[in-house]
Amino acid sequence: MTEILQQIINGIAIGGVYVLIALGLTIVFGILGIAHFAHGSVSMFGGYLTFFLVAQQGYPLILAILVALVVGMVLGVLIELLAYRPVRNANHINAFIVALGLTMMVEGINLQFFGAEQVVIPTDAGRVFSIGGVTLPELRLYVILAAAALILAMTIFVEKTKTGQAIRAVAENRDAAILMGINVQMIPLIVFAISTALGVAAGVMVGSLFAIAPGVGEGLVVKGFAVLILGGLGSIPGAVVGGIVLGVTEALAAGFISSAYKDVIAFVVMIAVLLLRPQGLMGRA
Amino acid sequence: MPRKQIFLLIALAAFIALPQLISVKYYLHLSILALIWVIMAQGQNLIQGYTGYVSIVQAGFMGIGAYSTALMGSHFGLPVTLTIILAPLVTAVFALATGYPSLRVKGHCFAIVTLAFNMVIFIVLLNFTALTNGEAGITGIPKPGYGRGAWIDFHDRQVYYYFVLIVAVAMTALAALIVRSRIGQILLAIRQNEDLVASVGVASWKYKLFAFVVSAMFAGLAGALYAHYQSFINPEIFSVAQSLDAILAVIIGGSGTLTGPVIGAFIVVFLPEYLRFADSFRLILYGLILVLATIFMPRGIVGLARDIASRLGAR
Repeated sequence: MTEILQQIINGIAIGGVYVLIALGLTIVFGILGIAHFAHGSVSMFGGYLTFFLVAQQGYPLILAILVALVVGMVLGVLIELLAYRPVRNANHINAFIVALGLTMMVEGINLQFFGAEQVVIPTDAGRVFSIGGVTLPELRLYVILAAAALILAMTIFVEKTKTGQAIRAVAENRDAAILMGINVQMIPLIVFAISTALGVAAGVMVGSLFAIAPGVGEGLVVKGFAVLILGGLGSIPGAVVGGIVLGVTEALAAGFISSAYKDVIAFVVMIAVLLLRPQGLMGRA
Repeated sequence: MPRKQIFLLIALAAFIALPQLISVKYYLHLSILALIWVIMAQGQNLIQGYTGYVSIVQAGFMGIGAYSTALMGSHFGLPVTLTIILAPLVTAVFALATGYPSLRVKGHCFAIVTLAFNMVIFIVLLNFTALTNGEAGITGIPKPGYGRGAWIDFHDRQVYYYFVLIVAVAMTALAALIVRSRIGQILLAIRQNEDLVASVGVASWKYKLFAFVVSAMFAGLAGALYAHYQSFINPEIFSVAQSLDAILAVIIGGSGTLTGPVIGAFIVVFLPEYLRFADSFRLILYGLILVLATIFMPRGIVGLARDIASRLGAR
């Protein structure tokens, strides 16, 4: 029983990372209809940058994360302006191909600047809490809390602020949003900045919990999309539920069945949900 | 004779003459790989170019074809020619099982679900070591034919080139037949407006599944030809990255055309070789070319050539 609880807690930490990735993907998808496949690699760029600043330049962790967030936001805005905007009115396949090209470019940039070695962001959160036989490393606790805070902030931003309302309006009906005087040229830039910031946060979490290496970003973005499909496209609660379901499934599968096949089991769950509920767990029919 | 047929004959003659014109053995090797990729790209084009569904599992199916031909040969002692024919059928069974759930979603979601399937296939190839020998892969896969020194010796690269050329031409012809048939017309209609197709009482899911399975069979066949050519396979070459190459071949060449995938296949095989000078910048450059090509040449090389031709013709 404690073993199950232990794996569930591990799963929630991983699930939190997935939720952040999925939220970044879902707002981009909602506004621009783009499957922003390069998101994982951009997130890893943020993780690498944080590692570089902490381990090689001696920045304090918080400062390094802040710098990485800002750089990531600029990168996200540039990606929208230079790569996605020119294909906005073309066939949606084209945007996807651009996303694939961007993935290669960002992976290449990561490789060029940070090398092929696997890196772990050093943190001094080394304590381990123990509650009734279930252990909770300090770092995992911080990751869960930070993810929860970011999810909450994002929800409040989208639901309550004027900009958030404008974003939802563009997602719902672009033409009507233009008529209402919303600056539709500006909205995608804001969306990409937010999306990339969430991604960088997830990248830092992956980098400190596990490790960053070439290819990790692509795996992560696929998990992010799996969360979207699992939870229902365009739904923030769906992304949260989907992410935690995926993370916990994976942790349980790794703990009780086979760690080599944990991804396979996670995808099987996604496909099973697709067969039974094509609109996702929280999606509207 | 109409211009189209003249063009076709010239292209065919060029492919037949190619091995005689190439002096560097390595280029002949790349040409064989490119012809195998023509089969991959024609399959990808059926689902991506004509039906409008971007599938990202083609390399996984290539892997299933490659492993099934190798394993059927070594476990059941079947002749190579037979296993090459059976490999696409085995692939078709897997494609049916994956296509049915994948095709329940559309657009980007479909792409992602198929990508997940590619990852599943890759992970299984890597970890099911009892069958696949894991990362080390399978070595010593025999060539077709009657061994070294026979009157047709498939160890000779030129012979294998012509063997693959015949198959690639046949598969391109098959793709042409499918595209021009009633089924092909329905696939095109699905790409343009799936709801309309359904509204006139056509069960579009059957046609989509057909396109998906046939495209997988193309990939399975390509995988089998690859396995017997290289005599060695491991999971690495059947990963998502190679599925992306299949998509690129179709897009860069010209999606929804029959010539496009042929041009695209040669580009995805040869371009990375020519970019070797860029060394570690290669991946960045390759991605940049892809982004620029999609922005400025969205209908591929064939589309660009057609635009130029029609402009010249109008003068």
